[in-house]
Amino acid sequence: MDSIVSTTEPPKLWRVPSVLAGFRLIPPIDRFPAVVSAVQTPWGKVALLAVFGLELSLLQHDSFFAAAMVLFLGLVTLMPEYRRFVLALSPIAIAIWSNLRIPLQLGMTLAVIALGVVLYLLAMQQPKSHFGRRPVLYLLSGFSLLIAAACWTQPRTIAYQWLWAFVGALASYVWFIAYALTDRTSKPSGDLTLELTAFRPLWGSTNTPFPKGAAYLRRIEARTSEQLAIAQLKGIKLLTWAAVLSLFAAGWNWFFHAYLQIPTSSQALAQSVQGAPVAWHLRWVSLVLAFFESILSISVMGHQFIAICRVAGFNALRNTYKPLSSTTLSEFFNRYYYYFKELLVDFFFYPAFLRYFKGRRKVRLVFATFAAAFVGNTVFHFTRDWQIIRDKGLISAMVSYEASLLYCFVLAIGLSVSELRKRKPQPVSFVHGRLIPAIGVGLFYCLLNVFVIEERRYALIDHLRFFASLFFVHI
Amino acid sequence: MNGKMEIRLLVERLLAANGDREPVGDDESLLISGRLQSIDAVEVVVFLEERFEIDFAEIGFDRDRIDSINAICVLALSGSSEACAS
Repeated sequence: MDSIVSTTEPPKLWRVPSVLAGFRLIPPIDRFPAVVSAVQTPWGKVALLAVFGLELSLLQHDSFFAAAMVLFLGLVTLMPEYRRFVLALSPIAIAIWSNLRIPLQLGMTLAVIALGVVLYLLAMQQPKSHFGRRPVLYLLSGFSLLIAAACWTQPRTIAYQWLWAFVGALASYVWFIAYALTDRTSKPSGDLTLELTAFRPLWGSTNTPFPKGAAYLRRIEARTSEQLAIAQLKGIKLLTWAAVLSLFAAGWNWFFHAYLQIPTSSQALAQSVQGAPVAWHLRWVSLVLAFFESILSISVMGHQFIAICRVAGFNALRNTYKPLSSTTLSEFFNRYYYYFKELLVDFFFYPAFLRYFKGRRKVRLVFATFAAAFVGNTVFHFTRDWQIIRDKGLISAMVSYEASLLYCFVLAIGLSVSELRKRKPQPVSFVHGRLIPAIGVGLFYCLLNVFVIEERRYALIDHLRFFASLFFVHI
Repeated sequence: MNGKMEIRLLVERLLAANGDREPVGDDESLLISGRLQSIDAVEVVVFLEERFEIDFAEIGFDRDRIDSINAICVLALSGSSEACAS
């Protein structure tokens, strides 16, 4: 299956004619037997890699990056038996290459990778120890202590430089290491090359691991020549879709922000903070546009990562899949940024759900949702922005997080209510069953996004004033 | 009703709630394929806890172990021998 969640069969009342229903902007080439057979031949593989490299260079505007990807993925395509080996070493090679001129950063990056390997082996070998039973808790606690220690060191000392360099390197690897540590329970485990493949993988990632860790990669890895061909064709399809969306986003930006001169949500908020707010209707329009723009940008980014991952031979689910069709807040959260949601679920939701309030079902669900959407979300973003802690100090960094904290709190409430209501029967008509709920979901996230515009630049009161002004309330 | 039938009914109910009425095989992936969501896994967990007294806090939680009807059945079997009786 290609999607995150299965598609819902539309009610007969709004079914489109069969000719249109069968239309696909990008043909389903992964389902054409002749094409699948062709890309298993040497020339077919070369052609596939050529198309992939061309699309990637157009998307990235970086021929060197595209050439490097084609080289590495060419190796795994032509010699799939060395796939894990190539994919394990290539990110390390890239990390070394990109940090060659910054020896401290290079050293700390390699030290963090080594730390990740040591912790993984420790968790594997001593599963009954304190660390082996709660490795992620130890990892995140240790990371928090490290940040606290870095805050206490004197600026302009070697200790300060080294500690913050280590914090920076660890911040970008911490969730990858966390996935490796949870891999100790999966069966079969213990393949270090696959763990290294998943440490900031070749296909790229944000601080959120795409697509999760080695346990997931193991499950979705192509094992036959035909599976590899299908995964690669799906990757080409997704990369093409990313290119289409990227072009659409460029046209969108030009039309709305250059031609129609509608301010971006950042500009609208900035003008509000400066005491010269844009017109009321433009504030609303800027928010609605920002909502669609965030979907477009996250789709292009995620599709690229997953497309490259698929060409490497791992048939991963998309990161973003039809978010506008969501009829509940939790469904949107799942469809919008799947791998971030999975991170929160794996490291915060399940641990909380499985341990606490077992006899009280609703309390248990709400508690676990808060653990993920409020606590997990906060921990992730607060540690991701470690430079703010370094530059402003711990207390000021916490204060600058107040608007985001409110965002996480309201999101957690929204998701809790959404999950508690989820199992109620849905109306069957298109308008009441899908359109109105989808608009409601979009409106909720449009308004919630007010608190993460230009994240951490403005005070909570500035965000609240902007929010209130949308409803003609002045505070 | 035997354990496996109960598990199948639960899985089919969860799939139907997501609008998925496609048939599901005993070994077909549910979570990793994306047919069920994380929140659906919660329903499976609660079902296994209540019906088969499985304590995930004790045995550890791994999605692979509830990724198909047969996998759920094998897990349930460890808590109760009647679970997968045909």
